[in-house]
Amino acid sequence: MNILVFTKRVAATQEEELRILDEGKTVDLSKVPFKVNDWDNYAIEEAVRIVEKSGGAVTAVSIGDAESDEVLRRAIAMGAKDGLLIETGDALHDPAARSGMIRNFIQKENVPFDVIFTGVQSEDDQFGCVGGILAAILKLPYSSMVVGIDSVEAGHMVVRRELEGGLQERVKISTPCVLSIQSGINEPRYVSIMGIRKASKVERKVFKAGGYSEGADAKIEVVKWTYPPKKGGAMMLSGELDDMCGQLLGILKEKGVYQ
Amino acid sequence: MLEQLATRVTTCIQCGRCTGSCPESGKTPFNVRMLVRKKQFRSVIDEAVPWYCTSCGACTIRCPRDVKPSEVIIELRSKMVEDGDIPVALQKALENTFVQKNPWGKSRNKRAAWMEKLDFEIPHVSETESKRLLFVCCIQAYDPRCMVIPANVAKILKAGGMEFGILGEEEACCGNEIRRIGESGLFEELQEENLAAFKEHGVKEIVTLSPHCMNVLKKEYGDTGIKISHYTEIVAEMIANGAITPRGSYGKKVIYHDPCFLGKQNGIFDEPRAILTSVKDLELLEFSRSREVSLCCEGGGGRMFFEVEATYQRNAEVRILDAAEKEAEVIATACPFCVMTLEDPATEKGLVVREISEILTEVL
Repeated sequence: MNILVFTKRVAATQEEELRILDEGKTVDLSKVPFKVNDWDNYAIEEAVRIVEKSGGAVTAVSIGDAESDEVLRRAIAMGAKDGLLIETGDALHDPAARSGMIRNFIQKENVPFDVIFTGVQSEDDQFGCVGGILAAILKLPYSSMVVGIDSVEAGHMVVRRELEGGLQERVKISTPCVLSIQSGINEPRYVSIMGIRKASKVERKVFKAGGYSEGADAKIEVVKWTYPPKKGGAMMLSGELDDMCGQLLGILKEKGVYQ
Repeated sequence: MLEQLATRVTTCIQCGRCTGSCPESGKTPFNVRMLVRKKQFRSVIDEAVPWYCTSCGACTIRCPRDVKPSEVIIELRSKMVEDGDIPVALQKALENTFVQKNPWGKSRNKRAAWMEKLDFEIPHVSETESKRLLFVCCIQAYDPRCMVIPANVAKILKAGGMEFGILGEEEACCGNEIRRIGESGLFEELQEENLAAFKEHGVKEIVTLSPHCMNVLKKEYGDTGIKISHYTEIVAEMIANGAITPRGSYGKKVIYHDPCFLGKQNGIFDEPRAILTSVKDLELLEFSRSREVSLCCEGGGGRMFFEVEATYQRNAEVRILDAAEKEAEVIATACPFCVMTLEDPATEKGLVVREISEILTEVL
């Protein structure tokens, strides 16, 4: 089985206090480190596990600037056979534009696949819909929020989808298809620096994004970046630790949380 | 440098001095002699076992054949790191170090946040005349309990009239624990990044806060030509030559716990004691197992970042019970990892753990 997996290099923003610049036009990412999108890491791991068991090959694809080669090397170190970079100038936020570009790329370059994996969403833009749009425009069946792949057969797969309320939905989906992979589907292996260095020896092909943008226009436009409005209701305690603990205990008792 | 540290398992005569000196032996499934034997015969090992090692170094110090068993453990771990099959908590620590240059994954941009509590500015090392660097490193830069250590040491060095600077956000994890977890590639990257910063800013001397940083900078960064010290060495000298004089009184019974990376691995036993005994009314007590035979607190070798499987009485608790038996009121040490591991059981027994700089700041 040939599995095409999309992987994205994203800003590691969880620990950062991001600054908006130019009156809302941009966000300052100059000092923010980058990493692989967490969901894509699970998707690559799942794809590699499938081909390790049933044969075939994993091809990792990334849309982004030249630095995105880093996540391709990482995917190869995990077990992907090839890495393909669709190199863009500016970051491409719009999910319809990304999906359209992927369709054009696959069709124009005749990229063979039986299944396409995407992560459920990316940590930066969080649209969570590239997989769905891609399936629609490629006219392929689609399953979102995949938390388990129970079997891989000729012509179909059986997968489990994560639902609310502690439920899972098991579905039979015919191949070729698109699956968006949820985090927690597996425990991704550790990728050592030595492994990434070895992976650097595998050639990664670079394609210029400009050749795949026809009919892949953005449907939405970022108007402004803003901070969430400040809300009231928070109280900051101050003073020495013992004092603050005393104050906190008083509040908890007053609110009836602690008797 | 790493090649020189390569192990020599074939010379092992299985005398068992390593196991006899190991702080994990007998109470956990860890048997270092057995692991060396298995390495000799290339036998299969239980993958959970090498992760018990605390890298205290006692086995390597006492080995009569220079086998360097603690390096054997690193080699075993390296294989698992290369295979990608390591405990999840350690995986996170390594991935965090790759992205943010510290195992906790805190923002690199906040690496100098500990300075907020100081009422004076510390210049960047490039702006100093002496090119003397205070190397802060991760736990002191980010852990709320340990952030007082760089602040205190900075106050003490300033009081002693010493000029120094910091690297701030340019500093990366020293890599001592990373190498011991077996991630040699990541260690090399950290080493290269720090060495480039030292070179760019013309660093001539480094004062470390953690003995772990001192160890790796001194012994595993290669010949840097930079003088590396632990802050206790500098401060003991300042006290000896009268540059600082502790004026206040500290009328408590204080027992000193030798950190493995400061004491047995780097021979710094007297300086921390000299600092403590310079304090008026401080009564210094000694553990039965002190200096070269100090009992490891189990915070090294990656153990700060994950819990081993076995349930047993932790060495930190043993240490606190020993301190209580000696009727100590305060356990003093000179390593942030020791502070962290000793503090929980100490609090439970009503004892106090203090990093030496905390005591000194109180009486300065």
